Amino acid sequence: MPALAWQVLVFGVIGVSSVVTAIRTLAIARQPIHLRWELAPVPQSGVKGGYGGSYLEDFEWWSQPRRHARAAALIYIAQEMFLLRSVWKNNRGLWPLTFALHYGLYLIAGLFLGMAVIAVLSMAGLDPLANQLLRESLSAVALLGYLLGSVGVIGLLLKRALDPHLRSFNTISRYLNLLFLGAVFLSGSYAWFHSKDYVAEVGRLARGLITLNPNATVAFPLSFHIVAALLFLLYLPLTDMIHFIAKYFTYHAVRWDDRPQNGRMEKEVRGLLTQPVSWAATHIALGGRKDWAGITAPDANDEATS
Amino acid sequence: MKRRLRLRDFPKDGESQLVEIHADDLMPLSSVCGDEERAARWQAVSEAQKSRLVCNLDGVVAVGIPRPKTEREKGKSIDLFLSGLRKLVSVQDNWTFLQPLLLSLDYCAQCQTCSEACPIYLGSGRNDLYRPTYRAEIFRRLVNKHARPGGKLLAKAYRGDVELNWTTLTRLCELSYRCTLCRRCTQACPMGVDNALLTRELRKLFSQQLGWNPEELHENGTVLQLKVGSPTGMKPRVARDNIEFLDKDFAETIGLEISTPWDKQGADVLLIHSAGDMLSWPENPMAFAILCQAAGISWTLSSEAPGYDGVNYGLFYDDIQLARIAVRHAEIARKLGVKKIVMGECGHQHKALMAVADRLLVGDLNVPRESVMPFLENLVFGGKIRFDPSRNNFPVTLHDPCNIVRSLGIVEPQRRILRYLCPQFREMTPHGVDNYCCGGGGGLSVMSQTNFTDWKVNIAGRIKFRQVIEAFSDQPTPEVKKYVCAPCLNCKMQFRDLFEHYGAQERFGITFGGLAELIVNAMVGIQRPFIEWQEY
Repeated sequence: MPALAWQVLVFGVIGVSSVVTAIRTLAIARQPIHLRWELAPVPQSGVKGGYGGSYLEDFEWWSQPRRHARAAALIYIAQEMFLLRSVWKNNRGLWPLTFALHYGLYLIAGLFLGMAVIAVLSMAGLDPLANQLLRESLSAVALLGYLLGSVGVIGLLLKRALDPHLRSFNTISRYLNLLFLGAVFLSGSYAWFHSKDYVAEVGRLARGLITLNPNATVAFPLSFHIVAALLFLLYLPLTDMIHFIAKYFTYHAVRWDDRPQNGRMEKEVRGLLTQPVSWAATHIALGGRKDWAGITAPDANDEATS
Repeated sequence: MKRRLRLRDFPKDGESQLVEIHADDLMPLSSVCGDEERAARWQAVSEAQKSRLVCNLDGVVAVGIPRPKTEREKGKSIDLFLSGLRKLVSVQDNWTFLQPLLLSLDYCAQCQTCSEACPIYLGSGRNDLYRPTYRAEIFRRLVNKHARPGGKLLAKAYRGDVELNWTTLTRLCELSYRCTLCRRCTQACPMGVDNALLTRELRKLFSQQLGWNPEELHENGTVLQLKVGSPTGMKPRVARDNIEFLDKDFAETIGLEISTPWDKQGADVLLIHSAGDMLSWPENPMAFAILCQAAGISWTLSSEAPGYDGVNYGLFYDDIQLARIAVRHAEIARKLGVKKIVMGECGHQHKALMAVADRLLVGDLNVPRESVMPFLENLVFGGKIRFDPSRNNFPVTLHDPCNIVRSLGIVEPQRRILRYLCPQFREMTPHGVDNYCCGGGGGLSVMSQTNFTDWKVNIAGRIKFRQVIEAFSDQPTPEVKKYVCAPCLNCKMQFRDLFEHYGAQERFGITFGGLAELIVNAMVGIQRPFIEWQEY
């Protein structure tokens, strides 16, 4: 395939994938304010953090200063991301497989990002890949990532197909997600074993793409891997595999959102209370009132029952 | 070998039960309990009840959906449900929980990590029907298919399908009341998906769109509360008379004058009890009266409906009813000009009025609201009341009401009180934010249609009873009197059923009650023990 086609394909797919991901992220972020539905433990600093206590434990909590616990939240999320804490705690049988899959993803995503950075540095006249130790380290990271990912995908496919606790819940989407990931990891493994110096080869490709070099070439096994990865990138934002973004909202915007009402919230809620309500049950539109404020007003029920 | 229940079984064979519950399958109780037969008592739904009500899930009836007379009725219900699905994912009709709902619908990985956290799934002996994900996935597939663009095509080709028919509808409605909304599953979920929220959204859809809801929660619950003041049926005058009678009665018993203030304008504290306590556990509101009086608190009860009953069953099934009651409570506090509202010992009152309704109470309705736990802690450690902890020298354990502890993170104030006043206090395992639900959460404790109580005590409360027994396993004999502190009316109602069923008092000497009673029991100057160890 000509170099130009590679450049269009790679940057095009990255662009489309980023735009779709951004659209889905904004769709979540732009939902209206919701009623509080927090769940302990909400990360706290100090003693409360140890047992899941909240500010509501304090006598006349509204007169106490609010303490933010960003470090505690970061630690919690880091444990979730890097140790898969909840799965370890509650589903030990699944943990090794999902851990392998996630670390495969982290290592390969990290590798490709690293290679992009190295390509940019090479434009400035630097050549980090000339360092053999770095090249060999990155090569080991790549192999580890591909193998871990492959083990994770194959293990999860087998578990999904054979474990009676999971089988009933399988859908085509579940298998397709794993097959896409499997194609990435297995094609990557194949490219790694086929190449004499995998990191140098990926480095040349990255540099060729970033410098828009018209003479850049890619050997077959690597090109197959790149196409598989690009197809996965296109597919990813259409699926629930973007839970790495959704998780920010399930935690920060729901489970950990215990902020008391403030002026900004009140303004938004006052607007929402003017929304019409069309639920059909007979107890909803008492007294002929039609919006949230009307049907929940203190005197709404008096009219309906008088 | 147990037959596995599949999702595709759900819409089939609507005239028969989807699953059978067998006593042998249930989670074993503690070896201390022995007598497994007691745990297996189960009354079947009668043929007469079956001819009247839909009974096609698990042999238990909680909601009591009347059998339709015509096919047209069935079709109409299905049409209503379909339009309800679309309303559920619209800003206009469901802004209140839209973002959490969509997140929980769209990002479940079906890893089943939540199942092992669910006390009902575990108590049932891992019955597939009671997995947190089972009902959630049926619901998810229906939303995806009928309320999302391209849903029908994607259901077949990608996301997974489930047929919507009368059987699906009725089973799903019943199944939405086989969850206590305790949210242990949510804590376990690596994605933060909330299956309890999905269950509540389902209940909402059935209530707000089809008018299908348990009589105990709706007609005899929120509707009655808005109409007369309390689901107990107590009108303001009766509530006031009851408390005035109790003031006199308890004053004679303990040798202290008690005078509960009513409608005191400008009081510091508006205390809102659950009216059920006034009738079933009157020692609880009396204990508060004694403590507030002894500490010199400026406080009041309200005799304006529904200001003397803090329950809000809307939390369990209906946003509109929830909002109506919460707004009324806040309006009463505003009119009285109190400095704060203090929740009584009631878990869902805490969650409804302190957290869920917080963003609904705009303007001067946003009266500060405080949990009873720090309020009592301040009384106990404030130095105005003298205590003698040796009066509480019997084994005490603490039940953590989910809506106070797991939902709101109010964990330690009650423990600091118990560690100070109860020399033999011991924890259950697990406890605090990891506690197990009593089995009566989510409104289940007030529901008792047909054989539902059998289900609550045999399955929903099974783990909790085992926890209680194990907490007292060092002194299991009935001669040693033991106390489960359950600072929540709904939990107490479930403990009443649970302890009666398992014979907790006669076999193990275990009783239960609130936190305020234990505090008063340790007060210096009370002539007789406040806790009387009587039958429930």
